[in-house]
Amino acid sequence: MKRFLAFSVLAATIVASCATTGTPGASGTPAASGSATGAHPRIGLVTDVGGLNDKSFNSLADKGRKDAESQLIVTTSVTESKQQADYVPNLTKYAQDKYDLVIGVGFLMQNAIWKVAKQFPNVKFAIIDGAPQDDGGKTENLPNVANLFFKEQEAGYVVGVIAATMAKNKVGAATHNTVCSMGGIPIPPVDRYIAGYQDAVKTVSPTTKILNGYSNDFVDQQKGLEVGKSHIAQGCDILFQVAGGSGLGYIQAAKAAGVYAIGVDADQSSVAPGTVITSALKKVDVAVFQTIRSIRLDTFKAGDNSFNAANDGVGFGTLDKVVPADAKAAATQALADIKSGKITPKDTVQVKP
Amino acid sequence: MTQQQQPATTGPGTTIPAPSVRQLTFQWAGGPAIPVLSVVIALLLGAVFVLLSGNDPVAAYAALVQGAFGTPYDLTETLVAAIPLVLTGLAVAIAFRTGLFNIGAQGQLLVGALAAGWAGAQFASWPGIVLMPTVIVFGVAGGAFYGGIVGFLKAVRGVNEVITTIMLNYTIVFVMHWLLQAGPMSAPNALGTPASTPIGAGARLPVIIPNELVLFSRLHAGIILAALAVVVFWFVLWRTPLGYRLRAVGLGAHAAAQAGIDPARHMVLVMAIAGGFAGLGGMIEVSGIFGRVYDGFSSSYGFDAIAVALLGKNSPLGIVFAALLFGAFVHGGAYMQSHAGISSNLVAIIQAFVLFVIAAEALVRSLTRRRGARKPVEAIA
Repeated sequence: MKRFLAFSVLAATIVASCATTGTPGASGTPAASGSATGAHPRIGLVTDVGGLNDKSFNSLADKGRKDAESQLIVTTSVTESKQQADYVPNLTKYAQDKYDLVIGVGFLMQNAIWKVAKQFPNVKFAIIDGAPQDDGGKTENLPNVANLFFKEQEAGYVVGVIAATMAKNKVGAATHNTVCSMGGIPIPPVDRYIAGYQDAVKTVSPTTKILNGYSNDFVDQQKGLEVGKSHIAQGCDILFQVAGGSGLGYIQAAKAAGVYAIGVDADQSSVAPGTVITSALKKVDVAVFQTIRSIRLDTFKAGDNSFNAANDGVGFGTLDKVVPADAKAAATQALADIKSGKITPKDTVQVKP
Repeated sequence: MTQQQQPATTGPGTTIPAPSVRQLTFQWAGGPAIPVLSVVIALLLGAVFVLLSGNDPVAAYAALVQGAFGTPYDLTETLVAAIPLVLTGLAVAIAFRTGLFNIGAQGQLLVGALAAGWAGAQFASWPGIVLMPTVIVFGVAGGAFYGGIVGFLKAVRGVNEVITTIMLNYTIVFVMHWLLQAGPMSAPNALGTPASTPIGAGARLPVIIPNELVLFSRLHAGIILAALAVVVFWFVLWRTPLGYRLRAVGLGAHAAAQAGIDPARHMVLVMAIAGGFAGLGGMIEVSGIFGRVYDGFSSSYGFDAIAVALLGKNSPLGIVFAALLFGAFVHGGAYMQSHAGISSNLVAIIQAFVLFVIAAEALVRSLTRRRGARKPVEAIA
């Protein structure tokens, strides 16, 4: 009986300790929300399944959030989605907590944004790279949702100019006059990058061979590595990745083979210095920052918002020292021409896998 | 035989006068002790990581609990997250009981989802009363077929099921890419995520919590199917001759063969049943959550299931609790990140520790055993 008692005491202690662990949260959260219901707008960011450390899309959106937190008077937080089923509850949580703006990162969240934004008409939403989409897959603009689009083909075009110039002149390790690209899943924003890239190569250096492939994944680096190896085996020595986390494997393949890679979305020169010659920038951080700012200034605009070369929403990243001056000059000129409307990069992929 | 099969669930003192302390200790040690201790140890180890990352573990776990159970909405979301884990957990567990290691619940779930998604769209105009059972049958049959392949290869050629299940997991992922991105199942929709055509209204599992009770809850009738599956699991294994034979094969295929049970046949059968459970899980996700099949919608249900089955000790109730715990991790983890600023990857670390600690069960067992107490007799439970 004594031991039974001892056991009960032990059990009681465990229960009690669990209870005390629960208390700070219970008392802490209302306090936190209480202080924030004042004038400070509250902004919630929900990543897609790529996660915060994709060194690309989601991490850029998070940078925009942090920039806003430090430069504007706003309170922000972030939630990572682990699987597709998480999008709706993650967005819903912020809306339920009466956040002023809930930002969904990515195309994959179009249906989730539609569902949640319809349920919370008084909360503002923004979706990067997409627009609300109903259950039948039809786009429906909502009065409380800003759709943040980018002209990826413009960024793809500019890095394509660099790749084509280097391939044509056989600079450094680029000896086979062959360039290639790898997308994650063939969805429009991915394909627009690739379309612009191919358009530039065809324009600048029509003799250059173009390869294209997809890893069918935005997360798995191994899959990107495999596609990269296969492209390199076919003679490609400038590899443009458009596959988020999976694309990091594509860059690794280039690094291992001693050839060049081009990063995407974020400036990825630090991923593999000497391998990554430049990056096609989609300034998701600028878009997130501007949208948060629009909440501060009360200039929030529902429906399509375009980020492009003209408003500094796209561009190219740090150039490696292997990139010759003429390639740099050509890229700068191309960017200026796109801004002025002299060049309009194509937005459909010409060379398919 | 049947009396000694449930050492963990039989309450103390039914007709027997006051059970001895030693008996209780045995029941505790043979039942929930190891899983519970494993989770506690995993949480403590997880706390070390939180500390190392410069955060407060108490705040982290408080937010985790708050996020998982803080509001009625969160409670329903935790259940939503647990439902597929219950089914894939059963898929792993029933194979375990027959001595097979089913790593393929992931693939079986996807086949079930695809089959259900196809039927739901193909026969979209059928009334729910006909369509719903059809979709369920397709989901279960799809998973059962995919699991059955593994059992068949094992039975006929002795191919290790660990290898075949892992390979088949990959196979279906790529078949799915093809089906949904450009193949026969892909929805003709220019702007969309690769996905199948939406299933008919009659194939949708209804939300069972009215909006007046919990606003915007997604808790769907799949929870009823999951509960039924748990009962079926229990009934088949412990109340039917088939279940007896399956467990006999699991305890010793050679001995079972001596007793006139054909192990090969039962391996095919159990893998089909396991696949059926996982396939039902896939069907429930399609019918209850998405209303269509999204490419790559399931990242880890089938893999978390291994942890769920191990933690649940392959018992029906154990699996339910383990799935609830992991469901709470999934849903609470997001809140922990947004409100306590701790990466929801901590949840993955804790899950890994749970597995690790269970794998080191012998160690934990030695900790739970009191001085000189004899090892409790393992019943066929």
